[in-house]
Amino acid sequence: MTSPVLRGRSIWGRLYHGETDIKFVGALKKWATVSGIVIVLGLVSLWQRGLNLGIDFEGGVVWEVAAGGVSVADAQDAMASEGLTGVTVQSLTADGKTRLRVQAEPLADAGAAQDISAKLADLTGTDVNDVSLNSVGPSWGQEISRKALRALIFFLIAITLYITFRFELRMAIPTLIALVHDVLITVGVYSIAGFQVTPATVIAILTILGYSIYDGIVVFDKVDENTKLVGAGNSMTYSDMVDLSLNQVLMRSLNTSITALIPVGSLLVLGSFVLGATTLQEFALALLIGLFAGAYSSIFIASPLLAVLKEREPRYRELKRRLSSREGATLPPVTAAADGIPDAKAAPVASPGSLPTLSGRPIPPRPRKKGKKR
Amino acid sequence: MRRKKLTPLVFIVLTAAVSLGAVLVSGTSPQLGLDLQGGVSVVLQPTKESSDEALSQTIEIIRSRVDALGVAEPEIARQGNSVVVELPGVKNQQRALELVGATAELRFRPVLVAIPGSLADLTTSTTSTTATDGSSTTASDGSSTTAAGDSTTITAINNLKAGPTTTTTLAPETTTTVAGDTTTTVAGDTTTTTVAGDTPPLEVTPREEDLPEATVILEELDGDGKAVNTYQLGPSLATGSIVKTASAQLSQNGQWSVALEMKGGASGIDAFNAIAAQCSPPSATCPTGRLAIVLDSVVKSAPTIQTASFSASDIQITGSFSESEAKDLALVLRYGSLPVTLEPQTVQTVSPTLGEDSLKAGLAAGLLGLALVCLYMILYYRALGIVVVLGLTVWASLLYAIISKLGVALSLSGVTGIVVSVGVTVDSYVVYFERLKDELRAGRTLRSSTERAFTRAFRTILAADISSFIGAALLFTLTVGPVRGFAFFLGISTILDVVVAWFFTRPMVGLLASNNLFTNSPRLGVARGLDASPAAVAAATGAAR
Repeated sequence: MTSPVLRGRSIWGRLYHGETDIKFVGALKKWATVSGIVIVLGLVSLWQRGLNLGIDFEGGVVWEVAAGGVSVADAQDAMASEGLTGVTVQSLTADGKTRLRVQAEPLADAGAAQDISAKLADLTGTDVNDVSLNSVGPSWGQEISRKALRALIFFLIAITLYITFRFELRMAIPTLIALVHDVLITVGVYSIAGFQVTPATVIAILTILGYSIYDGIVVFDKVDENTKLVGAGNSMTYSDMVDLSLNQVLMRSLNTSITALIPVGSLLVLGSFVLGATTLQEFALALLIGLFAGAYSSIFIASPLLAVLKEREPRYRELKRRLSSREGATLPPVTAAADGIPDAKAAPVASPGSLPTLSGRPIPPRPRKKGKKR
Repeated sequence: MRRKKLTPLVFIVLTAAVSLGAVLVSGTSPQLGLDLQGGVSVVLQPTKESSDEALSQTIEIIRSRVDALGVAEPEIARQGNSVVVELPGVKNQQRALELVGATAELRFRPVLVAIPGSLADLTTSTTSTTATDGSSTTASDGSSTTAAGDSTTITAINNLKAGPTTTTTLAPETTTTVAGDTTTTVAGDTTTTTVAGDTPPLEVTPREEDLPEATVILEELDGDGKAVNTYQLGPSLATGSIVKTASAQLSQNGQWSVALEMKGGASGIDAFNAIAAQCSPPSATCPTGRLAIVLDSVVKSAPTIQTASFSASDIQITGSFSESEAKDLALVLRYGSLPVTLEPQTVQTVSPTLGEDSLKAGLAAGLLGLALVCLYMILYYRALGIVVVLGLTVWASLLYAIISKLGVALSLSGVTGIVVSVGVTVDSYVVYFERLKDELRAGRTLRSSTERAFTRAFRTILAADISSFIGAALLFTLTVGPVRGFAFFLGISTILDVVVAWFFTRPMVGLLASNNLFTNSPRLGVARGLDASPAAVAAATGAAR
């Protein structure tokens, strides 16, 4: 982001006023490489070490109880004498209270879990109803995963249909690619970092998809609106127009991501680290990673990809060829984009759905209004 | 024109205020999921392939068991092949787990004593009779209080009344004597009051004491769960495993009945005929000649056995059945022949303290996040930021009212859904305000821009919200457990977002745009907040003049 300063404004000023001219489309290769590396690393890690699946997927039992002065070692001994396998005991301290978390492999008999609950209650001197238990059979996790996967597939199909219906198919494809990108990045980061995957993680990933689409649609809506700028009488290629649109909505995208990240960050920092609600942590962590991936992909991957796809259409290919021969291949399309800015603002005036103005002042006529070719 | 513009604003603010007020006054608050208030959640699956109707019957059984536990808002739902039972706030978690998981058995028990209505009816009628006249006019007042006035019923009432004094000692050995001799003594005797005082009151046998070999008192229920008949029943003589199949039938004379077919051999029709022989004619073990069909501690029917020998495929239960009653009974019998054994797939118990901690953490984090978002919006958009804060207030009030009214349990995943939707909601403002900036930069006045910018921005908001909503709806229908809660609240707040944008944000910004203070104030000014370029400020000022 080291483009030359225009009109004496700082980068922040230009960001604020939507006057940046970052070349997103041109940089697609660069960003795609960055994403590609992260994804490949994630896939390698996934293949080599897999995911750290929580008991909801693998099956297992977890108990949680207020420690009441019992040490981890004591609890471990007590559990060993119960004949449990694969026992891990953790001590969680938050908000001045210490809790013990005991995890074990699935039990043969579901009723046995309650006996252990009673043992733990005895050990720590609490009521048996104050022992939290989460026991999951080994086959259940597969079912959950299968259902989530099915939901994901239907979700992708529905979104593709919706975007095709609302915009066009060529906008649906980059959206899908961006979605897959976000999921791969998040799953990859989970595998590399060894974070535990829980149902909360699955929810978070699904949320990310929602965000990612939401963000993408806002960008595409702008692109859709600006399409009329790309026409016979204009000195803009489709890519230039996408770049222009992206720069225009950049601040919106940043603001959206910031306002989305604030509550999630608050969940993560205050909710889980300070107050110690582990479930909140599970949610917030995946959300945080995914939000970054989503905000990034809608700007750096989805939209440039759209431009690349559209440039293959004969209409826009022809336009590009003509423009580059007119202006000379050496002249970068920066001028076109910069020139285009006032036109972009003027475009809504010409849009068919615009309402009559409320003020009495006439709108000054715009020079180039005939771009409505679609 | 101004009034017209303000109508939706007044409407939405009033709606929000009234609904929030109504909810607060009526003391309704969002019902908390079990991970926020403690409780038990079990997902059960049948051990072997079972039919749809058997599984539905199982859910009915679990539901009636849970009702007996007195859980405020239980959720028992079938999701695919599994049964999800959520019992937020249940006091005795261990007992709840045992009750929910137990397999329901169909039992055939001989009827020792039958009375119409519930035991409660009986107790009130007894006390009233003893109060008015202590003497032995049982026949008259018995028939006046209990409508079904034939003499056999009245004897039965008296037998049951004798229950507390006699069953404890007599029932274990010979139940027939109970029916026989105590009638006159107890009815005439004024000791009824003292009996009620120092012996345990006569009560319906609790489920965990309903053992096959015990003598029990059980009820027959109508559709609303009210007792229509109460029976004292002898030990179980056979289980549903003797039944092969059953179906509802309509006879030529328009009467509904149930055709019952037994399995062949010793573990089928032979066992049934052995029972029939005890009841027809009535004997010591089956004094009324009636055989009760009991599923999960509830009497489904108690037909009189008319012959001592049946052929396996030709047994009919007749009576004044309606079509649905006959079908229900047939279903119960079929279920009984192959009861569904459920196995817990996941068991989750959350202690009340852990739930409370999570709730506190979630609330604190949510409020902090909301406050920070508001602060950011005000710093960034100045006066328009106030619109965001007010809009979020309206949004939150409506959301709170809806969640409270719907009574859907709010779980941690639901809280996450809401926190996430704060981001989506705020984004709608950002989309609008950024559009407004565009318009101003194009040299238009603030006043003329608001409507134009809104129209365009609303299209974007709608497109984005629809995609969010599609996602939420799909997740809700296709997944299980916590994901559903999340999707539900995400979906609701998405709809609210569109409503608030249309009814609140639009008129509110329009209102601000026509106010000098808001457009021109150097600190608060909308125009400044939107675009600090001198040209735009001048344009905005021009508009205000």
